[in-house]
Amino acid sequence: MLNEFTYCPRLGYLEWVQGEFADSADTVEGRYRHRRVDQSAKRPAKKESEGEEEKVVLHARSVSLSSERMGLTAKIDLVEGEGARVTPVDYKKSKRPHVARGAWEPELVQLCAQGLLLREQGYECAEGVIYFVGSRERVTIAFDDELIALTLERIAQMRRAVVSGEIPPPLEESPKCVRCSLVGICLPDEVRFLRANAAGLPEPRPLFPASDDTLPLHVQHPGAKVAKRGEVLAILDGDALLTEARLGEISQVALFGGVHISTPVVQELCRRGIPLTYLSSGGWFYGFTHGMNHKNIDLRRHQFRAAEDRSRCLLLARRFVQAKIANCRTLLRRNHELPLDQPLQQMKWDIEQAGKADSLEQLLGVEGMSARRYFECFDGMLKLADPLFPEFDFNGRNRRPPRDPINALLSLAYAMLAREWAVVLQTVGLDPYLGFYHQPRYGRPALALDLMEEFRPIIGDSAVITAINNGEITANDFIKQMGAVSLTAEGRSRFIQTYERRMSSEITHPVFGYRISYRRVFEVQARLLGRHLMGEIPDYPAFVTR
Amino acid sequence: MRHVYIVTYDIANPKRLRRVFKTMKGFGKHLQLSVFQCDLPAIDLIRMQDILTLIINAEEDQVLIFNLGPTESCPIKSIQTLGLPAKLAKRATVVV
Ligand code: SF4
Repeated sequence: MLNEFTYCPRLGYLEWVQGEFADSADTVEGRYRHRRVDQSAKRPAKKESEGEEEKVVLHARSVSLSSERMGLTAKIDLVEGEGARVTPVDYKKSKRPHVARGAWEPELVQLCAQGLLLREQGYECAEGVIYFVGSRERVTIAFDDELIALTLERIAQMRRAVVSGEIPPPLEESPKCVRCSLVGICLPDEVRFLRANAAGLPEPRPLFPASDDTLPLHVQHPGAKVAKRGEVLAILDGDALLTEARLGEISQVALFGGVHISTPVVQELCRRGIPLTYLSSGGWFYGFTHGMNHKNIDLRRHQFRAAEDRSRCLLLARRFVQAKIANCRTLLRRNHELPLDQPLQQMKWDIEQAGKADSLEQLLGVEGMSARRYFECFDGMLKLADPLFPEFDFNGRNRRPPRDPINALLSLAYAMLAREWAVVLQTVGLDPYLGFYHQPRYGRPALALDLMEEFRPIIGDSAVITAINNGEITANDFIKQMGAVSLTAEGRSRFIQTYERRMSSEITHPVFGYRISYRRVFEVQARLLGRHLMGEIPDYPAFVTR
Repeated sequence: MRHVYIVTYDIANPKRLRRVFKTMKGFGKHLQLSVFQCDLPAIDLIRMQDILTLIINAEEDQVLIFNLGPTESCPIKSIQTLGLPAKLAKRATVVV
């Protein structure tokens, strides 16, 4: 803990106060090397000391110590000692750095704190050892006054940060961030950029991968079964194998309709922190299962407090609605076959009105009016050249049940968005059920609905337009029953693919200027909302495309 | 960043062979008898090496890992096939 605080106070705070953790290649490699050290230690030990008489050397592995007075707890890799004289030994996966003091400050401070804890237990402890696995070198570190003073100072700083309940600011353009496993959670440059109101600061560095490493698995084949086979999930129809998906490459699993899944699969998904969602065959969200992964309690507290404050709710709600209208407008401007001066002008006016609304009710009115204008022009974005499919005629938005094919597609797209947002919010530690604009109602992920507003046009509508204009979905993909129109299983599968392609596509971030996939944008937005709720950035930067 | 790796192995004992095969299924696509195509970020490469090291017997078995380079540059294009077409893997959302 002290080690992380010394590396970067914000890192220590994120990990130890907020319970955030993420693996990076470095942390995994650290565990891997550690294990190999433990194993090699089991093999016959090398000669301890040649020539000299055999000393009785005590070895104790993984020693846990704590001191209430210092407010410290430590787990020491190894304690060596004779009688009352002991030496803590710390393993580091790296090579020995060639610096004057033999090791970097975080390591020195951590080792010294271990020494101080041992001293408190009544042992004599004048020095410690760092064993660098990478270069197989032992470096002895003397606990001199200077190091002890530094260590005590770091402990005091850490305690102050914890007690204040305020997250330390990100480091300034530090090379440490590049190697930091929490960079995608901390968002150092983004937070600094948004705090400074962009005045004169360089655009954030693209510090984390532009797109996600893992992708969702959707199972919608009627009656399919999901089973675990070693490291892969097998999707079966009866005995026939439909497909396999590697567990390590799945970000989430979405089950449509009556798909079967076994308890071992659910347990494995929980263990790996892969969320599992259950949906009706039309994509309506029933609920989800997730493991006992960390819940950022601190963050939720701030969320609940903000949701009780009507003026804060209104400020956020205005942002959501303004961004949504702006994005609808951009979509129309780009895709409509005709130049639409009047509606675009009106929508611009709607954005202003939304910014001035002084109650949620008024805002709802503005939003509804603007949505009507937008959907009246919607069919101008569709290329329904084929006269064989007159059913694609679109007369305004209708749902539950959708009565025409376009509305069926829109409903599915929005249901997918709501699910996606519920999962993202849950993953970053926010409560998807408590919203600011949408008020809580039984079984409704209100915060997910809030955040999806600005993405309805750019993800949902855009996927529908692509599916139709590219001929990926045709009139044959729909069934009509008692006035309700729904997709066939095959049509649904194809549309989900179109939608997911949209989610994976990369764009230039309108504020930060780097390339990023929409999937990643969702996570960044959710984290930025968190940073805003915790008071770190003044505004929630809604996502508005240029 | 992801790199494409070709992993091949020679395992002397059938039990370990099965375990290596099962592990590799979790990391890549089975191309041929003891050959996998993997598309891994650094973190998964380390995990794979870790698990394989624990399974194999260093005195009798051998695993070879060829790094073909960043996935973005499509290094699998350089693979030539003679005879039956190869089913090389491409990452995409799975929808069934
Ligand atoms: S990304 Fe940088 S500022 Fe943020 S926790 Fe890591 S080192 Fe600290």
